[in-house]
Amino acid sequence: MRKGGRWYVALGGALVLFGAACTPGGDDDGDGDGEGGGEIVWALGGAEAQPGGVHQSVAELWNDQNPDNPVSIEQLPEEADQQREQQALELQAEGSNFDVLGMDVIWTGEYSENGWVESLEDVRGDIEGASIPGAFESATWGGELWAAPYNTNAGFLYYRTDLVDQPPDTWEALCDQGIEISQSEDIGSFIGQGARYEGFVVNWLEYYWSAGGELYNEDQTEVLFDTDLAVQATEFMANAIQDNCYAPGFNTAREEEGRNEFQQGNIAFLRNWPYVYSQVAGDDGSPANGNFDIAPLPTFTGEGTVSALGGFNNAVSAFSDNKDAATDFVVWAATNEEAQTMLATEGSVPPTLESVYDQLTDDPVMQLLGEILPDARPRPPAPQWNQISAEMQQTLFPAVNGEADVQGAVESVRTYLEGTLE
Amino acid sequence: MADDRVTSDVGTESASDDKPLRRRRGGLSERALARLFVAPSLLLMAGVALFPVVYAFVLSLYDYTRRQRTGFAGLENYADALADDRFWDSLWFTLLFTATSVAAEFLIGLGFALIMNQAFRGRGVTRAAILIPWVIPTVIAAQMWFFMFNVTPGFINTVFNLGNFNWLGQQGWATFAVIFADVWKTAPFVALLLLAGLQTIPSEMYESGLVDGAGALQRLWYITLPLLRPSILVALLFRTVEALRVYDLPQVMTGGAFDTESLSILVQQFVVRTPDPGYGAALSTISFVIILAIGMIFVSLLGRALVLERTTER
Repeated sequence: MRKGGRWYVALGGALVLFGAACTPGGDDDGDGDGEGGGEIVWALGGAEAQPGGVHQSVAELWNDQNPDNPVSIEQLPEEADQQREQQALELQAEGSNFDVLGMDVIWTGEYSENGWVESLEDVRGDIEGASIPGAFESATWGGELWAAPYNTNAGFLYYRTDLVDQPPDTWEALCDQGIEISQSEDIGSFIGQGARYEGFVVNWLEYYWSAGGELYNEDQTEVLFDTDLAVQATEFMANAIQDNCYAPGFNTAREEEGRNEFQQGNIAFLRNWPYVYSQVAGDDGSPANGNFDIAPLPTFTGEGTVSALGGFNNAVSAFSDNKDAATDFVVWAATNEEAQTMLATEGSVPPTLESVYDQLTDDPVMQLLGEILPDARPRPPAPQWNQISAEMQQTLFPAVNGEADVQGAVESVRTYLEGTLE
Repeated sequence: MADDRVTSDVGTESASDDKPLRRRRGGLSERALARLFVAPSLLLMAGVALFPVVYAFVLSLYDYTRRQRTGFAGLENYADALADDRFWDSLWFTLLFTATSVAAEFLIGLGFALIMNQAFRGRGVTRAAILIPWVIPTVIAAQMWFFMFNVTPGFINTVFNLGNFNWLGQQGWATFAVIFADVWKTAPFVALLLLAGLQTIPSEMYESGLVDGAGALQRLWYITLPLLRPSILVALLFRTVEALRVYDLPQVMTGGAFDTESLSILVQQFVVRTPDPGYGAALSTISFVIILAIGMIFVSLLGRALVLERTTER
């Protein structure tokens, strides 16, 4: 038994348990896939990247005009975290399968520091000035342009006009109104993105920023994290769960759960992205259809509004075999009026070309975006943002849910932020 | 004799047991020849199975800043991991998940297997129906159970009239939901393995048991279970090892929130989401060792079971 058995166990064990050990860091992909030709592969995710989505229409428009360098979409998962994982796997392996990367605004620093994307300084002049400043800024890191702006995003407050006379200016007023409505109408009050993922951090930051807080100074050399304001934001969320200002299920809700609740008429207030507008307005069976409007997000002081800046830009992969054509495409997608207008009119994907906003003033979504985008703030596009976000999810989420001490949680976020500076 | 067979070297498995090992004229011994023939497949297995494990261990000895190697760290990554509450929390969840889900799956699976082993009308349909959950890919099953348990749309709350009970949004119940989904998903797999075992039990055993006046429970306890032992151990081995590696169910259903972070989710975070290859590799090596150790316990039990079986057969 002894000797032979051990062999068995070692081999059998290694086979059966093989999946237990994942090895990080593959070295080479090797295939390169450099078929030449002029084809450009555009790797992006989300609902609008699917067949019939507006990004497909944009690709078709380009293909009509540039039959020599046709663009095809490589569809990535719906969720931003997973899109990044897919892109990172390819880029880490220095694979040339993706030419153009749909790069979320918060990945700019990481991608550029990893040497995954080409600098677009040569075409800076074509883009700067045409794109809205916030979106342009989100495509830069270290003073250099790494991507062409394409799609921007900001949070709205959706509310039911049949239940709310005047959209609230402050978070407290929102809760007061919401709780009152939920008691008299037997529906939920307010929902946002409260599940433990990037969306939670976005929502938390909107509270924190609207209380007057900051994470870093302008050039990210100093931590400005204010623990008192962070406690205020965190306690607001914790109380909102306690006193049912947040509808049940807030702490497991992402974008779609909230959108569904609002669309089905189960909720009075919703914090969500612009895409919800056309969804609800296009749903004839929805009780909210015709009975809702959008407003800027409230603040703690009642002054102004702050929203987290979302969206993604198009970057050229450093490992592409077709960089020139890919660069032409990203510049075109950022500055072509027809393509950018399409984003707003065919889908609810807010464009980044400034002139489009001047033309579409009748569109309520575009109008509100034009109003709030100047005050929208990017999450710091630092190379460590993913770690920072993961840390904030890890510490703030339990605090919001009453499982951890609020003070301790915000202190550890501050310590973590300080550790990122070195 | 029976012992001989089990203890003989893997390499000589194909060689005849009864003949003494003798050196052939001018050539290699049979044993050496056998080793030679087996060597290529052993090498292949080592390359596929052993190399990643060793490579992960090597990676775990280095320090990284994002993906760049910055220096030798020795066992520092391991010390960090063992000092991290998050590691112990996820280990605790993983063990709890494994113990409860495997126990429940075994009991339910055994019940299913006993039912499916009976001759009754509609047996084919029943067998097929019981297997459906197992055929559904786990991610899809996880997403489905997310919709079932989550407050929105909240099918379970609607069916049982529970209002807005927040299954996935609080400690304890989130764990329960994940375990429940796993039991639903894999009890059929256990049933399938046990059914295969049940069908090898000769009916004469039960007949003689009946003649001796054994009741249904006695037949289960003294005939079915002992003879089913090897199948049970195989089923438990597979399920335990798989449960220890659980990733997709908690990842999709809760994202690891509310104390449902499994070791694999933790490993995935440091290998893929927020890459720190050294720390990630250390975590994955630790999980590997844990799973290997638990797996080995089963394998040695299994070995003993086979030995016992063979000796009792003779």
